[in-house]
Amino acid sequence: MSFFTQTFISQFRVSSIVGVCCCLLFFGQNVCADEKAQEDRFQSAASAYSKGDYKKAIEEFELLAGNGLSVPLLYNLGNSYAQDAQIGKAILNYERALRLAPGDSDIRGNLELVRKDQGLFQEEQTLGQRFIALLGLNQWIAMATIASVLFIGIMLFPLSPGRIRSSRYGLALCCLCVSITACSGAIGQYQQWHDGVVVASDARLRVSPFESAASIGTIQEGRLLRPGKIHKKYVLVVDEAGRSGWLAADAFEAIANF
Amino acid sequence: MKRNKYFHEHRILLKGVSIVCFMLFVFTAVPLLHAAVEVSADITPRSFPIDRAAAFNITVKGVRSFQPDMPEVDGLQFHQRGKSSQVEIINGAYSSSVILTYLVQAERIGKFTIPAIEVNTKDGTAMTKEVIFEVTASQTSAVTPQASSSGNPAARLRSGEGQKLAFLRVLPAKDKSYLGEVVPVQIKVYFRDGIKPNLNSLPQLHGDGYVLQQLGREPVQTREHVNNIPYSVLTWDSAFSGIKEGAHDISMEIDTTLLLPEQRRSTSLGQSMFNDPFFSSFFSSYREKNVKVASPSLGLTVLPLPEEGRPAGFSGAIGDFHLSVSASPVELAPGDPITLNMTVSGQGNFDRVQAPKLSTEKGWKTYTPSSEFLKDGGPGQGKKVFEQALVAKDPALKEIPAIEFNYFDPAAAVYKTLTAKPIALTVKGAVAKAVDSVVPKNEQAEKEQKTNAESVQEVEPPLGGLAPLKLNPEPMDQKLSPLFTRKWFQILLAVLLLAAIIAGIMKNRATRYANNPRLQRDQEMKHLLGLRMAEIDTALSAHDTKGFLASCRKTIQEQLGLVWNVEAAAITLADLKKRLPEDSVLLGVFSAADESAYGGQELSQQQMQEFSDHLKIELEALI
Repeated sequence: MSFFTQTFISQFRVSSIVGVCCCLLFFGQNVCADEKAQEDRFQSAASAYSKGDYKKAIEEFELLAGNGLSVPLLYNLGNSYAQDAQIGKAILNYERALRLAPGDSDIRGNLELVRKDQGLFQEEQTLGQRFIALLGLNQWIAMATIASVLFIGIMLFPLSPGRIRSSRYGLALCCLCVSITACSGAIGQYQQWHDGVVVASDARLRVSPFESAASIGTIQEGRLLRPGKIHKKYVLVVDEAGRSGWLAADAFEAIANF
Repeated sequence: MKRNKYFHEHRILLKGVSIVCFMLFVFTAVPLLHAAVEVSADITPRSFPIDRAAAFNITVKGVRSFQPDMPEVDGLQFHQRGKSSQVEIINGAYSSSVILTYLVQAERIGKFTIPAIEVNTKDGTAMTKEVIFEVTASQTSAVTPQASSSGNPAARLRSGEGQKLAFLRVLPAKDKSYLGEVVPVQIKVYFRDGIKPNLNSLPQLHGDGYVLQQLGREPVQTREHVNNIPYSVLTWDSAFSGIKEGAHDISMEIDTTLLLPEQRRSTSLGQSMFNDPFFSSFFSSYREKNVKVASPSLGLTVLPLPEEGRPAGFSGAIGDFHLSVSASPVELAPGDPITLNMTVSGQGNFDRVQAPKLSTEKGWKTYTPSSEFLKDGGPGQGKKVFEQALVAKDPALKEIPAIEFNYFDPAAAVYKTLTAKPIALTVKGAVAKAVDSVVPKNEQAEKEQKTNAESVQEVEPPLGGLAPLKLNPEPMDQKLSPLFTRKWFQILLAVLLLAAIIAGIMKNRATRYANNPRLQRDQEMKHLLGLRMAEIDTALSAHDTKGFLASCRKTIQEQLGLVWNVEAAAITLADLKKRLPEDSVLLGVFSAADESAYGGQELSQQQMQEFSDHLKIELEALI
């Protein structure tokens, strides 16, 4: 290899490294700048909330939510909407926050308070429902996955045949039980993930998906509904009392869209 | 004796033949003797319109054929349409008859008499009786507009309806109604019998000032006679309500496709010979015709609601209503919610019925009521159930106040107020709770004062008691989607699954190896052979005859030891001689190795190479 070639290769390597570093520095700075801007906006929204300017707080928090979600963001949005008397939106955001952090007592407490204040009394949960609500859907899924992997691992790779065989089978059985329980929890939670909330103040349930259709009755803002099929601008819903009817799609918002 | 027997047998045979002959005579001759010729004539129907025809039958009993001498009657035309024969045996009685059918068509209205007709048969001549009948005016032209002015309007054809194959009637319960009042209405579409209608739309309302409630997709189907003409009728029970004060003309229209019977025409007369529906249904085909059936214009008036006596809480409910109220629980602790169930039932515009109100809301926190309408009966009939949550703010309250509902009664033309009596409550531990509830409020007020002092800028939120905002934003990269919908999780699951499958295969192989001694032996033999062959090759390359033969001997012992399942070192030349064939290469190599060990035999390079090659082939064949 000639001296010229060697020099060229070494120069190319150096310039590549420098280029990569520059890129990392540039993007890193951009990422940091974005994070800083988001944090500033978050604090600005919180400040607007503490001053009683709930509409501005909602606007700022919603802008942030357009880029990504976090539990504090959804929780703060819920608080802002609650103070601005937009109960449907408040409950919607609390429910969303609970989907991400089911164990958060602040979210649960505020949600209960808003519901109670609006007379949105819920039926008492059964023992099974309370058990399912202990963890979120993703936590149940993670638990089920880990337990399943452990079960398979234990069954496939015996540590030592003979001496600890009974312990191995006991451990595998435990993992299997945990896996089944977690799967049940995940299925239970998954059914609730399809729910939505009434976000309009004077929503009417209709017998058919048309404006001129007879009204079955009004449905209170903030009520949890389970959506069914969709027809044009109407969605077939079933409320907590089991009453079903067609609701204008703009009066209803799903908790999780996926 | 033989002769007597012969005569006896023949007598029996003769008796049998006689009985058969007698029977044949009875079944053939007797009916003929009793089959006297009877002639009759009749016309069906005895009265028919001029645009229709009647069937005139001449029946002759007791003959197989006959020829009538048809008379000429002024104003009547006879058209022979068929001949039929009939034979009947009822309880052994035999009868035969021939029927000749004529279609009779009249040229004028009036009473007609068909005179007695002479019927010539083989057995002689017989006469029918006179037949009298009436021809009436055409049904389509007989109904005049004046006819609708008298009698029951539902059973009389109205102006213009008689000429139509189908017509539509709108029958409202009343002509004058109040603004927003629900007026029951019956919409009836009449189709003349024999016409098969297909509906392309529901009846549509034309005209301003009224709106029609949604009609059911399935109307009630009935048959009605109007002016003795049968009609198939489709009926919708609905209601409309006035939305604009004043006099309005409305009408209704329905889009239909009618399947009309195509009637055969007489070529000789140029008129229909099959106006009779019975013949039409047999001989006609159908043609489609799109028709919009419209009702005549209907003048209705919408009256304004009176201003006089209008209650303050009037929501626009018009009709005849009843109110019932219940509350639960009525025994409660301070602050407990009470569910108030209020049912407004009756007939009226339930769309405008709003929740009844407490006569006074002082001391109560009320929540927005939910409502549900339950239809019960005809249009505008049913009940609306309201459910409202209440919380007593004042623990001293002993009853839910009276509940009022206002509506307008169109029959009496006055506003009415329904009032439900107050419901008594039992509040448990009112005093203790009240005191308890005061203390935290005071503490909270103190806290609020302190907070205000610390931060003047903060504003008291409208909804107190909420946990404060979270000030740490945390990374905003979370998603409201289940893990299994995310790519990375799906990949992870796929990798785990793959690993599990691979591990499973490996475990399966290991299990198979552990449970198969022959496989284990073969594996060991292969392994040992590899090792020893390497030693042999080393000795060969070093031309170490002693080492070479020793390795060969050891290899043979090890391999045969595993095959024979005996200790390798215990295998001797005698064992080999006993168990191997005499020409076995192994025997020669083993023998040479023994001689080398005890006698120091030397081998050439070529011999060593040959031994090595043969040994390898022979031992590999054992595995």
